[in-house]
Amino acid sequence: MIIAFGQFLEVLVSGLLAGVLYSLVALGFVLIFKASGVFNFAQGAMVLLAGLALVRSLDFLVANGLPFWAAIIAALLFAALIMAITAFLVERFVLGPLINQDGLTLFMSTIGVTFIIEGGAQMLFGSDVYPLRLFPSDAWFLFEGSFPGGLLVSKIDVWGGMIAAVLVVGLAVFFQQTKTGRALRAVADDHAAAQSVGISLNWIWFIVWLVAGLVALVAATVWGTKLGVQFSIVFLALKALPVLIIGGFTSVPGAIVGGLIVGAGEKLAEAYLGPFIGGGIEYWFAYVLALVVLMARPQGLFGERIIERI
Amino acid sequence: MRAPDGPPVTSGDVLLSIDNVSLSFGGVKAISGVSFDIRKGEIRAIIGPNGAGKTSMLNIINGFYHPQQGIITFKGEARSKMRPHDAADGGIARTFQNVALFRGMSALDNIMAGRTLKMKRNMFWQMLRIGPALAEEVEHRHRVEEIIDFLKIQEIRRTPVSRLPYGLQKRVELGRALAMEPELLLLDEPMAGMNIEEKEDMSRFILDVNEHYGTTIALIEHDMGVVMDLSDRVVVLDHGIKIADGTPQEVKSNQAVIDAYLGVAH
Amino acid sequence: MFYRETGQFKTSYAADMQIFPIRQDRIALWVVLAIAFLGIPLLDQLQVWPFGGEYMLRAILIPFLILSLAAIGLNILTGYCGQLSLGSGAFMAIGAYSAYKFGTGVHIPLGLFNLSIPPLPVLPSILLGALMSAFVGILFGIPSLRIKGLYLAVATLAAQFFFDWVFIRVKWFTNYNSSGSVSAPDLNFFGYVVNTPIDRYLLCLVFVSIFALLAKNLVRGNIGRQWMATRDMDIAAELMGIRPLYAKLTAFAISSFIMGVAGALWAFVYLGAWEPLAFSIDRSFQILFMVIIGGLGSILGSFLGAAFILVLPIALDQVPHALGVPISVETVSHLVFIVTGTLICWLLIVEPRGFARLWLTGKEKLRLWPYPY
Repeated sequence: MIIAFGQFLEVLVSGLLAGVLYSLVALGFVLIFKASGVFNFAQGAMVLLAGLALVRSLDFLVANGLPFWAAIIAALLFAALIMAITAFLVERFVLGPLINQDGLTLFMSTIGVTFIIEGGAQMLFGSDVYPLRLFPSDAWFLFEGSFPGGLLVSKIDVWGGMIAAVLVVGLAVFFQQTKTGRALRAVADDHAAAQSVGISLNWIWFIVWLVAGLVALVAATVWGTKLGVQFSIVFLALKALPVLIIGGFTSVPGAIVGGLIVGAGEKLAEAYLGPFIGGGIEYWFAYVLALVVLMARPQGLFGERIIERI
Repeated sequence: MRAPDGPPVTSGDVLLSIDNVSLSFGGVKAISGVSFDIRKGEIRAIIGPNGAGKTSMLNIINGFYHPQQGIITFKGEARSKMRPHDAADGGIARTFQNVALFRGMSALDNIMAGRTLKMKRNMFWQMLRIGPALAEEVEHRHRVEEIIDFLKIQEIRRTPVSRLPYGLQKRVELGRALAMEPELLLLDEPMAGMNIEEKEDMSRFILDVNEHYGTTIALIEHDMGVVMDLSDRVVVLDHGIKIADGTPQEVKSNQAVIDAYLGVAH
Repeated sequence: MFYRETGQFKTSYAADMQIFPIRQDRIALWVVLAIAFLGIPLLDQLQVWPFGGEYMLRAILIPFLILSLAAIGLNILTGYCGQLSLGSGAFMAIGAYSAYKFGTGVHIPLGLFNLSIPPLPVLPSILLGALMSAFVGILFGIPSLRIKGLYLAVATLAAQFFFDWVFIRVKWFTNYNSSGSVSAPDLNFFGYVVNTPIDRYLLCLVFVSIFALLAKNLVRGNIGRQWMATRDMDIAAELMGIRPLYAKLTAFAISSFIMGVAGALWAFVYLGAWEPLAFSIDRSFQILFMVIIGGLGSILGSFLGAAFILVLPIALDQVPHALGVPISVETVSHLVFIVTGTLICWLLIVEPRGFARLWLTGKEKLRLWPYPY
């Protein structure tokens, strides 16, 4: 009984912490969606791009004799610069010309952007698996007194959780306390009205994509340490979509909670249902869960209900 | 005040009646306790200041909004709410305040879409498009061409509606509603944003539809001149409450209506 | 000059409602069909360039035809009915695996009695497989009644990932083959075994021609108008008596049926032996891109888009080669990503209706030439 409970806790904790990683990606989606109404399919590709830029420049600098801490700072700055350039190009050449188009067109254009980024990132930085070691990757054993063998918690997951918390607080401060943050919220409410009080949409969209790019960079540091920077990150990032469905597209807390639900849900399902219906449930669990939530509550758990007008 | 030489139509059977209907969104009351009726063959105007609940009223009549309270009786059948499909099936057609055409389709296809409910051949016949399916398509095309002639929009029938100027879009939308051969036609500000010539054309079409096809019409309009000229009876709403009901003459001299429009404090 | 409709008067609505009301277009269509049905087999027989060897048929024409068919399927759902789907691969897979099961015999042990269907001939197998795909399509279309746009896209992703998993993990579908790979049964059509590349090509051509015609008839008929009305303004459509349930679910059913046929052909005729990977999410995106690039809401566009997406990687590989600057396979695949993505963004900005609309605009210009309008 105690063993079973210990096992359950272990699965739950690892699931929740893995869910934080989904939340990190989902956050980037929510930021862009709130401020511009664009559902940014490219967020996963941006994580890949940020990760590749980071790991490749870090390897290069270390190989050229820079001390590790200096190399990390330089590589982070380089990756941030890459994300800024991406944000500028996307705003300038894709979303700028598509202003006032309907949501589906914008969504499809970000699928186009996804492919450009995926192709471009791999062409510039290579397409192998690159290990990244920013955080310790071993594990702690907690409560060894309470459960036989203790509770295994991997350090990288805990790091991820802490980073996510800092990020959320930072974003909240940015949105609530800064002038740019206020402008962002104004644009989110009403494009035309925001424009009429002199807020430049192009500038705001650039800022939003930049912030989303930096969120992607943060996600890339954690994911890259956990899995190595590689193309399959894109598919994991795709799981942010069901996370958003569950949490609602416009809610930052929703993104976090959605991520936790998906992370914990799929690990528990894998551990307890997997043996009966053949493993690999993790592959689709999040999507089917999202489908079920959609049927019950189309606006997501935290989204607002929309009154349709004509 | 049309047909000055004859009495206005006031004695027809009741086609649709609204009894004590209330509608609210969350805590906001859009319509409270409104009752009125629409008689067969008349042109009934619904007027009122902005936010009076006029469009919500039309939305209730054709089943897009469901009132929390009240009875809607259409063709003798009483119900607490309409469903869009029942309304369309029963012969209620509609145009919209902000043109709601199918933007990706031509004018012809838009109007043909109005025939949907009248076309009975199933998908497998349509797929083969031979014999009865083709005959049906041709037959309905024939009816639609009559409407196109009536509205004088022959030369734009192949044009995607998104490329048409606003006045013509309104006309195509009227055509789409007519294609349903409705018994009751709901027009939501059919003349909004039109110049004087376009208004005259549209008024003429509305009168013609009423006279030639005998279609009952309920219309929302802000242009008082148009309302006075076209309608047989007028109902006035303000803040979701009915404040007057009667012939254009009666309504025009009603003190409550004058107050509502001039904004006198109650 | 030669492309004029002057003097071609229509005396009946039926004549005015043809697929190609202009005579020159009809002639062009017959020429294309003659080349496809007679010319290409003849060239193949004579082994004339580029038909010496099987490369042209095997690597270009057969996949072109099958993917065009899949694109037509997706176009009905996304282009005509406005329901974005990222799960085309799943519906192709359902078509392929169901056809395989029907073709090799279905045995479902149900405890007391067993449901058994003996192996069916290949044609009914394919059609029944497509019917299964249509059935699942309806199931996954049900959420579309409550959810729209992007939300629905995620629902179709659920279909994609779920069925990816099903065909990998549920060994019943692969007849317990240890490698997970399966081979198609003989392509025996009424006693004639389709085997050579040219036979396979003609088989696909027949399927594609028939389904393209049926699809075209649907989209220009009553149901097609209901789909487009639902796409353009769903609320207005509903208030006109168009049932969203009927419009959306028929679009899902027809679309998945066609994608199911395409999937079965892809597996049976093009691949011969296949693994679940053949119908992964990459395939879904490939078909979505064909539809966007070719033209949303256009049957012709489905063909144009399929041709483009198929030829692009080959061109990116061959052209630098011919110019003497060979580039690595990896670079080619990255370039394909970049070019495709760029083209999608560019088309969405300048012409959201894709190549098909550019083609129409071109024809319009030609009709009026030499005057601008």
